Amino acid sequence: MTDSLPTTSAGAPTQGAAPTRPAGTAPGTPGAAVVVDHVSHTYGRGDTAHHAIHDLNFEVMPKECVSIVGPSGAGKTTLLRTLAGLLQPSEGAVWVNGKKNTGVPDGMAMVFQDYSRSLLPWLSVERNVAFPIAGSSLSKPERKALVDESLEAVGLKGFEKRYPWQLSGGMQQRVAIARALAYRPKLMLMDEPFASVDAQTREGLEDLVLSIRDRYDMTILFVTHDIDESVYLANRVLVLSRPPATLVEDIRVELAEPRDQITTREDPAFIHLRGHVARLIHSGGEPV
Amino acid sequence: MTVAPEKNTRKSERAERAARPGRPGRGRGVLVALGYFFIPLAVLVVLWQIATTVAPSPFFPPPVDIAENLVKLLFGGDAVFTEVFYNDFLATVGRMLAGYAIGAAWGIVVGTAMGLSQGSRETVTPIVEFLRSIPATATLPLFIILLGGGDDMRIIFIAYGVSWFVLINTASGVGSIHRTMLDLGKVFKISPARRLFSIVLPAASPKIFAGLRIASTAALLLAIVSEFILASNGIGFQLIQAQGRFQLLNMWSWMLALAILGLLINFVLDAVENRVLSWHKLSRQKI
Ligand SMILES: Nc1ncnc2c1ncn2[C@@H]1O[C@H](COP(=O)(O)OP(=O)(O)O)[C@@H](O)[C@H]1O
Ligand SMILES: [Mg+2]
Repeated sequence: MTDSLPTTSAGAPTQGAAPTRPAGTAPGTPGAAVVVDHVSHTYGRGDTAHHAIHDLNFEVMPKECVSIVGPSGAGKTTLLRTLAGLLQPSEGAVWVNGKKNTGVPDGMAMVFQDYSRSLLPWLSVERNVAFPIAGSSLSKPERKALVDESLEAVGLKGFEKRYPWQLSGGMQQRVAIARALAYRPKLMLMDEPFASVDAQTREGLEDLVLSIRDRYDMTILFVTHDIDESVYLANRVLVLSRPPATLVEDIRVELAEPRDQITTREDPAFIHLRGHVARLIHSGGEPV
Repeated sequence: MTVAPEKNTRKSERAERAARPGRPGRGRGVLVALGYFFIPLAVLVVLWQIATTVAPSPFFPPPVDIAENLVKLLFGGDAVFTEVFYNDFLATVGRMLAGYAIGAAWGIVVGTAMGLSQGSRETVTPIVEFLRSIPATATLPLFIILLGGGDDMRIIFIAYGVSWFVLINTASGVGSIHRTMLDLGKVFKISPARRLFSIVLPAASPKIFAGLRIASTAALLLAIVSEFILASNGIGFQLIQAQGRFQLLNMWSWMLALAILGLLINFVLDAVENRVLSWHKLSRQKI
């Protein structure tokens, strides 16, 4: 199932492909949206040090929807925070759109796992969605148009004046997605965004992600611990091992589009893939 | 994506209705609260009045006399207000408000800085803990020696005593803001000033308000205490004067004035809090 990209765990390090690359230019395939280059991270030092992720190498091309799965505590959030520029990795570097991350990269939005903490309870839905663009150079009507369109895209038209705490968990997470959309990101990071909503709401939100991916031409990186979800949503699944997390396998997902909650999940290819991912995770990174 | 919203629309409508002020449900609530407040008070006053009429005592004048005397102290004369009103009552209120404002501002600024940086929190906290465990009233002699017996000394003394409550609460409120909320500001590249005023301070505002509330009580207390020594006017000064001249009625009247002042401050803070923190109350009700 290992694909032919040069950037799998077993494959050559991305830097190996271009050893004479000029300083300051990104390693890996030219035009890649994200390049993760020999990234390791250790929390703390001395006795309490925790080696969370180890020598991760992969790249994501524009408009790909890549899911990252791994056992709980593997270091998925750690990886995503380094991608977001919220955490400087102890070793290696992340490149977004050809630029090395020194802080939060431009044109990136994030949907957090904890929707109840990521929405501002003193702002209405509409002002929460407008929050990231409120300081931008856009005119007021332009901002309003962006907010309206984003709320419409997530099916929350008519809820503009509500407050986050007046909405269900699934609706709150849709507000968070609308907020990310209104920002018009090229890269969207999602950290277990549906972990705390009920199963039915979750399916709706998964299909929402698929529809906005098609509509807005974004690159999406999606962290989940749900194996089915990782396969259902993605063009590629990156499987992480138990900590210190290494990349176990980089799996290409070629399922019929558009995906459908019922038929896709019945597809023998889907069933085969999910079984494969599950086996990888359960073995904790040993070959299967 | 279709099931949950409907169920919740109804719930949120209810919350919204509760959020709108002036609705019958809420009006009744206010009346009930006022009833709980005034009825026991009225009973106490009536009992006191009866007791002091049956068995008069120079130490406990009847409440009606106390109130009448207070009105006489503050109102009347040539204008609406007496000189005492301006010289003593307003002077105390002014000192209190000035000290409160300075102390609250200082407390919010330092508390925010402490809350935002773990480093500064760790270095400053022992100092804060040490200084604030000295009863503020005990520092008055030092303030007098350093700053003299004027109004500025009193205001700074009040500000000093008040600032601890605001500082501690602000630091704890800001320090306990969830990481996700702070990440939100960084991820969307919100400017530092907006991060401070639109994320950090609103998120910490319930705690800050709790501090401001305790501080308001302390401000009145410290204002009065500061007027016990080296003062030539103010409610505290009048209390000491009345004590020296054995004017018990005046003493009681000034105490009544302070009680009314305290209630008034509470009322104003309630009103501000209801406006500014309605989201906080309502979002908690839902859970
Ligand atoms: N700030 C931190 N300091 C120390 N250890 C941390 C910190 N954040 C996460 N960890 C540890 O790193 C490991 C990976 O965490 P995380 O990336 O959140 O895993 P995941 O998202 O895959 O569940 C966990 O064992 C966690 O305890
Ligand atoms: Mg996580």
